Amino acid sequence: MAKNKKSKGSGAYIFAGILIAVIYIINTFLVESIYWGNQEVSQKTGQANSALNKINSELTAINMDSISIAAGIIPPEDIGITMGDTNKRYGNIIAAEHQFEAIEDLNPTVLKRYNYAKALITAFKDKLDSLGTSNVQAGNEEMMGNILKQEIYPLQTTASEMLISTIDVVNVETAKMNAANTKRAFALMTVMMFVAILGEIAVWLFARRAKKIRAELEEREKNLAEVDAKLKATRQKASDLAVINVLTGMKNRYALDSDVSDRLETGRFNIAVFDMDNFRSINDTYGYDFGDEYLAAVAEKLKEEFGDVAEIYNITGNEFCFLFNSSVTESQAMGIAQNIQRVMSSPYEVLNLAVQLPCSGAVYHYLPGDCLNVNSLLVKLDTALRSVKMNGGNMINTVMNM
Amino acid sequence: MNKKNRRGVFKAIAACTLSAAMLLSGGCGSRGGQGGPGGPNAQQGGTICVITKQHLSFWDDVKKGAEDAGEEFGYDIVYSEATNDNDYSSQEAAIYDAIKKKAKAIVIAPNGKTELNKAFEDAEKAGIKIININSRADYEGVASFIRCSDYESGSVAARNAITLMQVKDPELAGLKNIAIIPSTAATSEERVAGFIDSFTSQASDAIAPIDMTETNEKKVKEARDAKIDAYKKGVIKGAECSKEGAAKEEAMKILQNNQGNISVMFGTNTNTTLGICEAIEELELENEVVVVGFNSDEKELAYIKTHVLDGTVIQNPYMMGYVGVRYAKRAITGDSVPSRMDTGAVFVNAENINDDFVQLMIYPDGKPDAAENTTGGEG
Repeated sequence: MAKNKKSKGSGAYIFAGILIAVIYIINTFLVESIYWGNQEVSQKTGQANSALNKINSELTAINMDSISIAAGIIPPEDIGITMGDTNKRYGNIIAAEHQFEAIEDLNPTVLKRYNYAKALITAFKDKLDSLGTSNVQAGNEEMMGNILKQEIYPLQTTASEMLISTIDVVNVETAKMNAANTKRAFALMTVMMFVAILGEIAVWLFARRAKKIRAELEEREKNLAEVDAKLKATRQKASDLAVINVLTGMKNRYALDSDVSDRLETGRFNIAVFDMDNFRSINDTYGYDFGDEYLAAVAEKLKEEFGDVAEIYNITGNEFCFLFNSSVTESQAMGIAQNIQRVMSSPYEVLNLAVQLPCSGAVYHYLPGDCLNVNSLLVKLDTALRSVKMNGGNMINTVMNM
Repeated sequence: MNKKNRRGVFKAIAACTLSAAMLLSGGCGSRGGQGGPGGPNAQQGGTICVITKQHLSFWDDVKKGAEDAGEEFGYDIVYSEATNDNDYSSQEAAIYDAIKKKAKAIVIAPNGKTELNKAFEDAEKAGIKIININSRADYEGVASFIRCSDYESGSVAARNAITLMQVKDPELAGLKNIAIIPSTAATSEERVAGFIDSFTSQASDAIAPIDMTETNEKKVKEARDAKIDAYKKGVIKGAECSKEGAAKEEAMKILQNNQGNISVMFGTNTNTTLGICEAIEELELENEVVVVGFNSDEKELAYIKTHVLDGTVIQNPYMMGYVGVRYAKRAITGDSVPSRMDTGAVFVNAENINDDFVQLMIYPDGKPDAAENTTGGEG
């Protein structure tokens, strides 16, 4: 029963455990996806910023070279080398542009800003090329200065501004994406938490309900046990009534039969029967109810006085049988028999009347195998008892062993 | 509640708490593994007021640039424009409105050099950063001045006008006078100066050929300077015009009064350029006179395609608005900003009008399907 109770109670907790495990697994996947999502964003941001910074630095370097040429810092014989460097730098810019454009899923705002910067860079290069092919070679410094100051330099600075703006926009968009990721993560985790809490509440409610049902079952079992006990008591009572004399509350002849039958073959015991002498006169004089009250009083006294040394049976109306305990010897049995006679012969107050009748008895020191059955045992005792009564009664006879 | 019930409730609460703790601890772990979201340009928020000169297509592009930057960097843009390029009182009211709105910065193209200084001072006291675009405000508290140099732009127009003339006449032997129709805008004066200075400098050999008979270099220089000064003084300057019609009338008058004696005509803004084009077209002088102007109104672009207008200097108003707000944002966040920024000018003619870069400057938001009616370029 206890084991059954335990298994019933643990069901909800097993479910709770599984629920927690499922939530933990989902949460792990969630965390993983957010982590890798942010990693991807960081990687893209890094690639984009690296490409844009490279373009910007090369652009600045080209511009510095151009200014140096225009200002005459670079000697004419080295202009060719510098222009070669410019072409290499522009090649690096193109490579960086390809690197940037290879990044997938760029934000439209980022692309818009980048395309603006790219258009400026292209215009810058075109203008620089036209400067290189004509005025530089012609040595027209005034024209070179004007073109640099009025067109090329502003193109470079605005292109640079657009590139830095693109980097800023990339960073802003990255921050937005990270913020959105974080927000989404918190939203999902909040939902998961609510699901978990609702699940736990459901588990708790199930457990509570199961507990209530279990308590009800226990109550029913208890009630059934009580009903069962009552039934058993009733049965016992009914059974007892079959072997107990209702008037005296002593065991009857059937009980004696049951108690002694098994001992006849091998047992050695002392047994005695006593009977009121002329008890019929009481019934005739005072009526049966009075006689019954008198017998009940005598029986009560006998149980009180000799219940410890013998099992007492009320085998017929006023006839009592004493099956002495095995510890009682033959001589002791005789002594007790005399006491029984004394007690039974004592006056009893019944319905405010003092009544006293003599009694007779027969004692039998039974030896194994003396009788075949209880009936023959009682016949022997009754024969001895009748013998006494025929001699006037108020005596104790002994059954002679054969 | 008996002991058994209390124990049950405690177990349930403990289970719920454990689940919640697992979720939260998982979440915390995930955040710890990534870089912080606050990059160098994390949104600061706030308002930036952009105040321009008047309602013209040029300023629409400034507005577009400003709004794009505002959107990209997380600022609200409040745009306002004066009624005309002399209306500084509307701009003054807009500055006080910015103070009232607790704007973080003002990006302004002032309609006066000093007229707005009191308002600027009050704005600065209110912690507002001031970014100056297009034309200079003589105020010390300006954090950055972003503009296309009017003098240099005039110079670009002159340089390209000479290049165009040299196509037909490399030595500029047939160079005659030049005529200019200035606008009423504050930018006009410098553009005219830049145009004349650059033109006379680069066409100096044609204007004042070197006297090979004179050996004294000083005398040669003085003679040439005198001729160039005389040429400069002889440049025909029409009356300042604000309207297209008035510019046309002025151009007609100049062309008719100086028949056959004009090589180049220069308009300093959209309306004056259009006025010149209309006069040239009407008098059928497309092949005789090189016309250069300013800005990229649709009508001007149409005149380029019909070769009435030989070229126009376009600025980058979109860039001006964009960088203006971008620098405002940097000033607000405490980053340093360049005190000056030249957004540059580009000479557009029939040859390069379809270049990507030129198209991007003309149409910052992409070319519209149908040409919209505009009310002219910058004043």
